Amino acid sequence: MIRRLIEGSLILFSWAAGLLLTLAFLTLVGFLLQKGGTSLGVNLIFGDTAPLDALLLRQQVFDGLFPAIIGTLLLIAGSMLIAIPLGIAAGIYMAEYCRGRVKTFFSLLFDILAGVPSIIVGLAGLSLTIFLHRSFSAQISTSLLISCLSLALLVLPYLIRTTQTALESIDPLIRMTAPALGASRLQNIIRVLLPNSISEIGSGIILATGRCAEDTAVIMLTGAVASAGLPRSIFSQYEALPFYIYYISSQYSGPDELRRGFGAAILLILLCAGLLLTALWMQRRLKTILLYR
Amino acid sequence: MDRPHSFTEYIFLTAAVCSGLLTAAVFLFLLIFSLPLLQNGELTDLLLSSWAPDKGMYGIYPMLMASLTLACLSLVISFPLSLGCSFVISALAPARLRRFLLSMVRLMTGIPTVVYSFAALFLLVPFMRNILGHGSGMSILTAAPVLALLIAPTMIIFFVGSFEKVPLSATLAVDALGGNPIQKLLYVMIPQAWPGIINGVLLGFGRAMGDTMISLMLAGNSVSAFNSLSQSARSLTAHIALVMAFDFDSMEFKSIFVCGLLLYIFTAILMLLLRMSTLCLSGKR
Amino acid sequence: MVSSTKIRTQDLCFYYHRQQVLHDISLDFPAHQITAISGPSGSGKSTFLMILNRLWEEIEGCSISGNVAMELDGELQDITSRALSARILRRKVGMVFQQPNPLPMSIFKNIAFPLRLASITDKNQVRHAVENALRQVQLWDEVKERLNDDGRLLSGGQQQRLCLARALILRPEVLLLDEPTSSLDPEASAAIEELLLSLKSQCTLIMVSHYQDQIQRIADLRFEIREGRFISSRSDCDGGNARRQT
Repeated sequence: MIRRLIEGSLILFSWAAGLLLTLAFLTLVGFLLQKGGTSLGVNLIFGDTAPLDALLLRQQVFDGLFPAIIGTLLLIAGSMLIAIPLGIAAGIYMAEYCRGRVKTFFSLLFDILAGVPSIIVGLAGLSLTIFLHRSFSAQISTSLLISCLSLALLVLPYLIRTTQTALESIDPLIRMTAPALGASRLQNIIRVLLPNSISEIGSGIILATGRCAEDTAVIMLTGAVASAGLPRSIFSQYEALPFYIYYISSQYSGPDELRRGFGAAILLILLCAGLLLTALWMQRRLKTILLYR
Repeated sequence: MDRPHSFTEYIFLTAAVCSGLLTAAVFLFLLIFSLPLLQNGELTDLLLSSWAPDKGMYGIYPMLMASLTLACLSLVISFPLSLGCSFVISALAPARLRRFLLSMVRLMTGIPTVVYSFAALFLLVPFMRNILGHGSGMSILTAAPVLALLIAPTMIIFFVGSFEKVPLSATLAVDALGGNPIQKLLYVMIPQAWPGIINGVLLGFGRAMGDTMISLMLAGNSVSAFNSLSQSARSLTAHIALVMAFDFDSMEFKSIFVCGLLLYIFTAILMLLLRMSTLCLSGKR
Repeated sequence: MVSSTKIRTQDLCFYYHRQQVLHDISLDFPAHQITAISGPSGSGKSTFLMILNRLWEEIEGCSISGNVAMELDGELQDITSRALSARILRRKVGMVFQQPNPLPMSIFKNIAFPLRLASITDKNQVRHAVENALRQVQLWDEVKERLNDDGRLLSGGQQQRLCLARALILRPEVLLLDEPTSSLDPEASAAIEELLLSLKSQCTLIMVSHYQDQIQRIADLRFEIREGRFISSRSDCDGGNARRQT
């Protein structure tokens, strides 16, 4: 009897928990959409500047999100450019070459790196800057490049782990096929193992891109500022969407700016959700596209 | 088996060693920059005294307590919710609802934390201001539920994942005996899956300790020690983000590296714990 | 039939981690014949095959002692020696597995795959070789219209013949077969058996099988292995003669 009661209340509680979580999530997103939905439009991005002029860099955009969007895109591109080759190569080493105690040691290191809070990664980027500043040139300060390096470090363990698990989960029969036909280890990796895990690795890369796009703590320590316009080079400071949102939350001067903040939040959600959905779709589809032809 | 190493293997090895060195480099940077403080004062002093730069006190005790309190409170809120939600996903809901919930949870992992806190700032903070009846509405009590929402998807995905790993034969046995879903869950799945549950909780706790934006934007950032949950407080991560604006050579600035070091060591211990629990449990089976 | 020895193993032992899997196997395999290896499952038959193309080196924790000599390019060579590269060896010793294992690529690419590995890229040469290999396994007529389809879309029997063609395209001297028909229906099995008989002139075949009737039908010689030890050899198998007579 008591048992039935426990079981029943557990069912009730579980449903309530699921409902509460769904409601909380939908309320937050709905609130954002309701507040910022009206601000969405060309105006939000380019302000009063003509879009074409802005895109061709003929005119600066002062009252739109254009510099922040470009900053975020540059951040993503830069950090992934650094992280992808390093992460995949290290992942291949972990899965295909590394054995025994060395492997245990390395995976522990990468686990720690994966668990390190992003603000610590930002702090490391900042200390690197201070170090360079003191040792080499007083010209060096926080910049787009430092942010890209730090963000690359942030997603590196993730890429390593994705590549490693993808390679390790390949069917042993497929793994043996190419060597039995006279393939070298490298040939096997390049021609069979990597193509076979392309969808997992691909979706891992996309998810890592999402982390680069959303992270605020790293960039606020390494060079993101509220108003910098478009970055002139990788050595200058820059704007970025997440930092803009943070900045607006405490420094907004009027309802217009606040609305732009909500608009930025919606854009960032769209970007991250889009990346996430692409990654999920990729897990199912990419293999079909690349290999069935 | 010793085999002649090929050139390509060296390339891959170099990549792995670089990545490993970077992990160590982060630690070294934190250590080097916090050395002045560690040498000057006693470490215990630093950890147990309060923050009053004008009196030459750079203790981070209030921040440490705020971080721990926030993380624990959000875990207390989030754990039952996540567990319940994972029950619904794994056992109770019909297939279609299950897929919907899973997609939603996945989507939640992709929502930027800065967006969560931004929305909560304009939704939850005014609400809390009314309820508490004093102050700005930013407090530990405000930040904790949002933090709970942040770590919930991590835990849910982990829980659901470990329920899925329970062998089908075991759950079928319950079905064959005429058991209902909740009995299957209680008497077969949870006993088999609890290592995964523990790991999920540890990871969730780690995420809560490490998150910056939510505590920075919602907890109020007061440096003084708090007496109740409805008071404003500053977490270690927020402290790092805030002090950063100061002069590079000041003691204040150096003290944030101690915070960083503390968080790094916390992470390392957490990962070791995770590793050990996984090893022990897989060894036992 | 005059048959010289193609492969000779002497005191061959094999270890997986600390466990000994094979004990002092000394056997002679005659050239251009089908030699069957039989025995209960888990007795080390497949392991034995993997020694002959050194595929065991791809698996962690394996080690080996003893001698394996194989006649390659008309010379007797020690195939366990480091001096001989495993890649060269495996191009001369083809292998077909129990489960058909087409790679996730088109039929054409699957068969041309060993050529690509050996850096043979001349298009005409590749096309010619692929067609020949497919004709040899009597798959050409069935797939010539859809060479660009995924290899995994073929039926089980077709897949196994595809794998056979892939193993044959480098014209190996020895062909290893690990229960090549156990995942197939009787009709597809019969087709494979017929093919194997036709390959005797071209290479030496060594086949793991636990079907007594299959061994009776196509093998010239049979070795039995039990718990990693050699038990008996019988040469009263028909080598395909019986069927041809009836």
